[in-house]
Amino acid sequence: MKYRNWLKAALITTLTASMLSACGGANNEGASAGSANQNAGETINLTLWGAVPAEAGPQEVIDSWNKENPDIQVEYFRYVNDDPGNLKLDTALMTGQDADLFVNYTLNRLQKRVDAGVALDLSSRTDYNIDEQMGVDAAQWKIGDKYYGIPTKKNMLFIWLNKSMLDEAGLPIPPVDWTWDDLREYAKALTKSNVYGLMQHDAAFTAAIDGTIAGLGVTTAEGTSNFNNDLWKKQLQIVHDMMFVDKSTPEYGEQVTSKMPVDTMFLKGEAAMLAAGEFIFRNANNLKDFPHDFKIAFATIPKVSADQKDYKYAGGLGDMLSVNAKSKHQDAAWKFAKWYADGGMLPMASGGRLPSSKSVDNKQAMDLLLKGVEDKYDTESMNSVVFGEFPSFQLNVPQQALDARKEEYEKYFLNEQDIDTTLKNMAKRHQEYIK
Amino acid sequence: MKRNSWIRKQGWVGYIFILPNMLGILAFFILPALYSFFMMFTDYQFANPNWTFTGLDNIQRLFGDDQFYASIKYTIIFLMSVPVSLAIAFLVALVLNRSVYLKGLLRGMFFLPYISSGVAVAFVWMLLFQPSQGPINEVLRFIGIVSPPGWFADSSSAMYAIDVVQIWFMLGYNMIIYLAALQEISTEQLEAARIDGAGKATITWRIVWPLVSPTTFMLLITGLIMTVKSFSLIQAITGGGPSGSTTILSLFVYKTAFSYYEMGYASTISWFLFAVILVITIIQWVGQKRWVHY
Repeated sequence: MKYRNWLKAALITTLTASMLSACGGANNEGASAGSANQNAGETINLTLWGAVPAEAGPQEVIDSWNKENPDIQVEYFRYVNDDPGNLKLDTALMTGQDADLFVNYTLNRLQKRVDAGVALDLSSRTDYNIDEQMGVDAAQWKIGDKYYGIPTKKNMLFIWLNKSMLDEAGLPIPPVDWTWDDLREYAKALTKSNVYGLMQHDAAFTAAIDGTIAGLGVTTAEGTSNFNNDLWKKQLQIVHDMMFVDKSTPEYGEQVTSKMPVDTMFLKGEAAMLAAGEFIFRNANNLKDFPHDFKIAFATIPKVSADQKDYKYAGGLGDMLSVNAKSKHQDAAWKFAKWYADGGMLPMASGGRLPSSKSVDNKQAMDLLLKGVEDKYDTESMNSVVFGEFPSFQLNVPQQALDARKEEYEKYFLNEQDIDTTLKNMAKRHQEYIK
Repeated sequence: MKRNSWIRKQGWVGYIFILPNMLGILAFFILPALYSFFMMFTDYQFANPNWTFTGLDNIQRLFGDDQFYASIKYTIIFLMSVPVSLAIAFLVALVLNRSVYLKGLLRGMFFLPYISSGVAVAFVWMLLFQPSQGPINEVLRFIGIVSPPGWFADSSSAMYAIDVVQIWFMLGYNMIIYLAALQEISTEQLEAARIDGAGKATITWRIVWPLVSPTTFMLLITGLIMTVKSFSLIQAITGGGPSGSTTILSLFVYKTAFSYYEMGYASTISWFLFAVILVITIIQWVGQKRWVHY
């Protein structure tokens, strides 16, 4: 009998242990090890999490690093920059899985990671001056006056123009300080059957109203929401008219529900203008999958009105590269981060990711961007818009308030709510998140 | 005595056999459920180690949240798809149970959606319901309807359009189960009814329908539970939009938890969702005595 009890206990213990060991493996080693391991002379393995497909540049970047640094080998892991993808990264960061370096794409996400204590505070690192290297725009990524990463690339949103269509309609490339009224006229003139005058990528849809509020202030002097300002009213109304009066841009409901691939449509010549970011270069430079014979010219995302002061352009810097505060190889990771920011990331320029560091020769990045496709772009507007300097911003509004804002303007664009109610509700719902 | 110890021996061997499974259930169902119940009273944000007890704040917030009431409304509209799908499935099964041409092919066709991937289904319906060029609206315009609905593109119709997809999606499964139930009915009973002079309609509603009522009950209860929990279809088609008009409770939980990382609040909503499912189940369990005939 005793023997049986013993057997029973042994069996249960074995089974339990085998079940639990599957869950706990990653956490066994403390995070305090720090740099101690680095002296051993053995290879350090780092993992870099980013949202760019490996073949669009990152693989080339880490391949060249790995070749130069046999003692620190980096592996790239792609996560998709959406809710499930970010959840995956956050879970990995929290549970101490291998994510020594990770790229943040919005201030909201970075803030969460800083709150969670997984982004390394860089104020202790004195061997790299982010402000000096990256310029004034970098400061927009500061949280509580501290850097939790290096903003590595230039973010840009602008209007992509089909130059052939512009020429056909006898329109010049618009000046950099044009307005939404001008844009509306352009779109009207460029609209034909099967060609929309303007298409807007999701990421660019709110660029003008965000740029307006970045200048005006998210809140008024009294501390209440500024989401009901007149400039928003004007801009939203213009877009609404373009949808329903001029029919020069797709109706909102239709664009969203059919998930229109706006960049592909623009490259196929189904839209004369496209509001989108530099990430389109990835496709525009890929003539094999997206063949097109027209030249692409550029314009800024217009201001709402000509007399608008303090309008800012969506952009600034992006691709905020952070070191995991729980990483066992922080020094090695930091070494990689500096190298990446100061030119290591250059191969990604061909996909539109231009390095922001002043150590990188701009010309070299541009050459990479235009390699083999020089004749597909209008040089003059490219220089003034894509490589131009504009006052920019990083939006710092809680995600919940942004989603609430979106719900309200969606109602307006679906003709379920008039513009005044929309603005009133946007401000009201934003107010709930202002402490 | 001998027999007794044999049973005891068999007993613990049995427990050992189910142990791995029980541990799995404990680790992946029971503990997380208890954990989420605990989180309901905190302001825990995913990944953030700092949290405090907030008592009943989350519950209070829930009942003051307009989005919560809206999501209940959309959930109810979504649930309406279950009885409708059952009714259609019953009629289709009745027809296919008789001798019709191409019976096998038709059965296969009705069952096809159920075995297809949800995302593929979503994509097909997005094309069909496309407001300006989609075939459904083309047909509607052809027969003289000047402004057909925007389907997914309109917040007043989006939830109903999703109902249509869900009905279509569930039809094959419900139909197969009904077919099985219909074939269980003994021909003697139908014969007897016919000899007594009952017409086709009478046989269907007085004999067949009551005889398949356990099946209806089972399909209704599982269908409602599945529907109230399901969210991948909606997530793939509209993602809760336009302007939040397809954000059912389960999607509301998902958004709160995984977009905003508000785990405390999300736990509160999901426990409410649990309560809803429990109430539905209890009501049906009590109600079944009246209409289910075994």
